[in-house]
Amino acid sequence: MKKKWLLAMLVFLLALSTALAGCGKSEETSGEKNNDQEKSAQSTLVYGRGGDSVSLDPAVVTDGESLKVTKNIFDTLLDYNDGDTSIQPALATEWEISPDGLTYTFKLRQGVKFHDGTDFNAEAVVFNFERWANGNADTFPYYGSMFGGYKNDESHVIKEVKAVDEYTVQFVLKRPQAPFLKNIAMTPFAIASPAAIEKYGDKFGENPVGTGPFVFKEWKRNERIVLEKNENYWLEGYPKLKQLIFVSIPDNSARLNALLKGEIDLMEDLNPADLKQIEGNKDFKIFKRPSMNVGYVGLTATRGPLKNKLVRQALNHAVDKQAIIDAFYAGQAEPAKNPLPPSIPGYNDEIQDYPFDLEKAKQLLAEAGYPNGFEMELWAMPVPRPYMPDGQKVAEAIQANFEKIGVKAKIVTYEWATYLDKAAKGEADAFLLGWTGDNGDADNFLYALLDKDSIGSNNYTYYSNDELHKILVEAQTISDENKRIELYKKAQEIIKEDAPWIPLVHSTPLLAGKANIEGFNPHPTGSDKFTKVEFK
Amino acid sequence: MAELARNEAPIETIQENEKAISPWREGWRRFKKNKMAMVGMGIVLFFILLAVFAPLIAPYGINDQNLSLRLQAPSKEHLFGTDDFGRDIFSRVVYGARISLWVGFFSVLGSVIVGSLLGIIAGYYGRWVDGIISRLFDIMLAFPSILLAIGIVAVLGPSLKNALIAIAIINIPNFGRLIRSRVLSIKQEEYITAAKAIGMSDARILFHHILPNSMTPIIVQGTLAIATAIIEAAALGFLGLGAQPPNPEWGKMLADSKAYLTQAPWTMIFPGLAIMLTVLGFNLMGDGLRDALDPRMKN
Repeated sequence: MKKKWLLAMLVFLLALSTALAGCGKSEETSGEKNNDQEKSAQSTLVYGRGGDSVSLDPAVVTDGESLKVTKNIFDTLLDYNDGDTSIQPALATEWEISPDGLTYTFKLRQGVKFHDGTDFNAEAVVFNFERWANGNADTFPYYGSMFGGYKNDESHVIKEVKAVDEYTVQFVLKRPQAPFLKNIAMTPFAIASPAAIEKYGDKFGENPVGTGPFVFKEWKRNERIVLEKNENYWLEGYPKLKQLIFVSIPDNSARLNALLKGEIDLMEDLNPADLKQIEGNKDFKIFKRPSMNVGYVGLTATRGPLKNKLVRQALNHAVDKQAIIDAFYAGQAEPAKNPLPPSIPGYNDEIQDYPFDLEKAKQLLAEAGYPNGFEMELWAMPVPRPYMPDGQKVAEAIQANFEKIGVKAKIVTYEWATYLDKAAKGEADAFLLGWTGDNGDADNFLYALLDKDSIGSNNYTYYSNDELHKILVEAQTISDENKRIELYKKAQEIIKEDAPWIPLVHSTPLLAGKANIEGFNPHPTGSDKFTKVEFK
Repeated sequence: MAELARNEAPIETIQENEKAISPWREGWRRFKKNKMAMVGMGIVLFFILLAVFAPLIAPYGINDQNLSLRLQAPSKEHLFGTDDFGRDIFSRVVYGARISLWVGFFSVLGSVIVGSLLGIIAGYYGRWVDGIISRLFDIMLAFPSILLAIGIVAVLGPSLKNALIAIAIINIPNFGRLIRSRVLSIKQEEYITAAKAIGMSDARILFHHILPNSMTPIIVQGTLAIATAIIEAAALGFLGLGAQPPNPEWGKMLADSKAYLTQAPWTMIFPGLAIMLTVLGFNLMGDGLRDALDPRMKN
């Protein structure tokens, strides 16, 4: 009896497993079919990246993950050239600057429509700038750091923005701002549909409506953002792709696996260690993003021992940058001594970096009154960034360096949005962060990241120096390039002495993608417009 | 065999004549016969020795970074190779034994103490006391244990100590239920009725008579629980919720190795093996103990 039961069970199990195996197989074949179809005429590009966007309203965010998506939904008045940061027309076709540098007049492109069908015109431009100027550092952080504050602030650069006629808009400034055109071209200052902003209010960040090459379709948080071709795009014959999908795969190796398996077509933040693997594979190729970034350790100047300049200098002496680069960037980076990357005019190459010198570091700590070191937190970002492919590892290496001078650092991490938020509030002792230039101007690094005006927006270290402030504001107001370069060089000397950062690296971010991708030139700003990208 | 059966009499009945062997010694005799159990105990002892003598065994410091020697294959200098910071994996695995055994042992000790206490109270007093405590256990058991652990760590903040606390908490109901059922049957025994009759206090009955008689299942369950606790600690470490860098916790080491799987598999193999072996050791030993200490399994 028992045996019979056993036999029956066995037969049943066998039948069940065959049936299940059958199911699995049929799914597989249907998957293959899909792939075949895609191969014949691929028009969907899936872009794999490390983190999700925070919001799709470009004006409210400062993080690259948000801006690289909005770059494709929205257009700005001016845009950058393909491979560099020189200015070219976009929504504005021509512009005129008054001799005193105070009035900018833009002629707008005619016949452009927002994705919701409303017209793009001078009123829309005025509406957007009014919206930002009436905000504050919490609502529109980038605006404040690029245009010197908000409507009622003394330091606010823009006096007024007015519509001269339907397709002419005029900016009147209180004082000249040398990088004004480059600022206007920045991704955050994209022109959004006034009707949609009014319709969605706070929810605009989840329902973005612009004039860009792609229309927003759907957003599944931490998973994917789907954009579809804008059939009425003003650039005739573009975009080439029908669909552009951004997926978030936090782990660099998992993202590479997804690329190799064909789940994604293009990925950023390739582990430098995996470079060789891609180079040896003819189905894929490497895209190198021109370097215009800095990865750094911020030393919050309002917290504990870090208030003391000598302590900050000591920590600068204690980090072995070259070793970190060799280990975690596979050499695809150079050590940083300034906040400014070398490719930007104004870079001060005469600055001597704090050498890696533990004895000197200990001596400075003792002078500052901490002969036995101290304890502090060291924050490490949870997601790979172009300037830092693996923050946790870099933090661990720095932790070991610090330990040698008696500074016990506890590595702390938060989810990315929380991390930025808390660091912006000055809650971190020391934190890893970085910056990819938005417009190729020194102002966008030094003023945006280290001026006292930028505390609360992008100056997370709360470092404030009045002499530096004077220099940075002066450099904004004059248009003589040589004079500006002199001022920025001086600014870098002050910053080096005060040591609010440990500048770590300027990296060359690596992307990897299918070999048949055409028309993709990674932009130094880190935000790419996919208008001209296609599969061969 | 019949003779042995007679000696099965419970210890508390003070029936030991000269010929009788204590049940513990009898258990040990049977345990020794079980080859797998002995292998398990051997493994456990090996790791305990590793942990105790780690400073003598490990050739390098656990946090001696040498970035120029990163991801070196196993060699004479570095038996298990080096990790992505150029640290000696052998030394880290050896020190990792300390962490894993420490977490395993103390988390289980914690859950045994709290679980037994609650279980005894629930079983002995019954009624609403039992109702409340048992429902509490039910609620805790309703969560997948690792999820509950993640939740607890999320509240307390990620650290090795908090991981230990979390693992201790999630195991409480297992021991609580075990003891409760044990108490329920023991309290019907005549010697307990006798103890009550001569006016013994509840506390004395609970801790001098019921608890000692419930030890066997606790020891068995405890040994097996150490194995799961070690896995849970490694899982939390892997998720970044347990040991924090630069602690050489095995799970954390695994997490660190995953970027180098193809390039430097030794960064994964050795900590992985260490986890597997300790867990295997405790499981074999636990199984052996159960067989040895359970009178019904005597033949």
